[in-house]
Amino acid sequence: MRVAILGVGQTSYEREKGISLDELVFEATKNALEDSGLNLQEIESVVTAGSDGLDGRAISNMTVSGSCGAYLKDEVKVSDGGIYGLVLAYLRVASGLFGNSLVVSWTKSSEVSPDTVGNLSFDPLYLREAGINPITYSAIQVSLYKHITGARDEDAAKVVVKNRGNALKNPLSHLKRKPSVKEIKSSRFVSYPLREIHIPPESDGACALVISSERWLKTRKKTGQKYAWIRGIGWSLEGYYRDEKKELVKLSSLRKAAKTAYKMAGIKNPAKEIDTAEVSDITAYHEIMIYEALGFCGDSEGIELVRKGVTEIDGELPVNPSGGILSSNPIFASSLVRVAEAALQVMGKAGERQVKGVNTALAQGFTWSGTQGSCVVILDNRI
Amino acid sequence: MSKELLFISQHWNIEFNHAAGETASVFFRAIKERKEILGRRCPACKRVLLPPRSFCERCFVDTLEWVKVGKEGTIEAFTIVYEQFRGLPKPPYAIAYVLLDGASTAMVNFLKKVDLNNLQEALERIKIGARVKVVFKRKRRGRITDFWYELLHT
Repeated sequence: MRVAILGVGQTSYEREKGISLDELVFEATKNALEDSGLNLQEIESVVTAGSDGLDGRAISNMTVSGSCGAYLKDEVKVSDGGIYGLVLAYLRVASGLFGNSLVVSWTKSSEVSPDTVGNLSFDPLYLREAGINPITYSAIQVSLYKHITGARDEDAAKVVVKNRGNALKNPLSHLKRKPSVKEIKSSRFVSYPLREIHIPPESDGACALVISSERWLKTRKKTGQKYAWIRGIGWSLEGYYRDEKKELVKLSSLRKAAKTAYKMAGIKNPAKEIDTAEVSDITAYHEIMIYEALGFCGDSEGIELVRKGVTEIDGELPVNPSGGILSSNPIFASSLVRVAEAALQVMGKAGERQVKGVNTALAQGFTWSGTQGSCVVILDNRI
Repeated sequence: MSKELLFISQHWNIEFNHAAGETASVFFRAIKERKEILGRRCPACKRVLLPPRSFCERCFVDTLEWVKVGKEGTIEAFTIVYEQFRGLPKPPYAIAYVLLDGASTAMVNFLKKVDLNNLQEALERIKIGARVKVVFKRKRRGRITDFWYELLHT
């Protein structure tokens, strides 16, 4: 059964929002309902996605049960990146079990040291005590990617300038300043080859979507609203230790997820058929790695897309017109934000950051650190 | 009334006692008692897995054979850390993925005995493809930190 995104709700993204976790979630959920035109009584299912470790609450979906609209509803949580909340909600709706669903994800980075929780997310026997956290792990991946492809510091700088520049047109952005190339070059190395400016900020923020089946939509009065139809969706996991050289940078799970989503959506040439993409730039270099895994170019050709400006907002295939994770990073919600922003592009509701002539958009997310799990969603506005 | 927003500080202090299981126990005891690094060979794909696992996730069969791997290997990827992360060592320090001779998969650990204070100088020495040796701690506890890598030909 066909499934559409009817409404998108986000909070602004900030270092420290000065509201409680449940207030944060309430804001995003309320915005999504309002955008969809549905009221809470009409909602049949709620799927949440958050991290107990980052929230500092075991079974943290109980903390937000009221604020995500789950009172006496069929709520279920995935303890994975927000885009996996969409996967589960999609399955619940596509199967016909539910007519519609909310999907809600959040992180209040300001309440904890995310890197410390990130270290705890790695295996306690072999990786945790060897200094692995999301940043050092990403840096190790990037060292190999640079070695194989010849990607340079300047290429990463271009990605940062692009995404942070796009963020200036997104009123929700956390970082609202476009850095100069010189400033990026003098940014300190946190974990070589990653400079501080190649790594996303830590943000407070929440994101929510309302989705429904085509069948359920037919029971409602026609509103003339634009929807973002989920044309393709795929997700996959690869080996946890990722200890074979090629595997570390190949992003095999992303390749598999993309293949599944493209097949379902009937996409044969992604670089031509996709009008814009929101991807998980967990570092500036990862955005370039993702281009290759998504088939926007051949292997080792990602740097060419950057150098030729193909993925700039006025390029042939704009990537992260919202500013990406490099500009706003509500960690677990960041992958759902990719879907939300892609949906806004498809609906023509992205305001100043709207890319012209978008009919088909792609959203991509990882589980969290390590990039071993990946999900790809293809949206379009065909009725 | 004051509009000051309050924060409630709390601290998790939970002890976990993670079971290593039989395969990891043999691996860690070999490091502790005999200064040996042991991998497990998958009978189907023949890969020698490090860290050792009691099963191969690809072939989905039990791994039964222990293989002693070399104490030298090649750097496949690395990072040099300059940030103080909570719970991690005082920077600077280097972490490397090293493919030990005779193993099919690389193993993560610290790379020591290189001056990291000057990054450019450090990068002259730490390179992907560089050869390293395994060095064992004198007092070993049966942990991954019982050994580290050092560059050969320094």
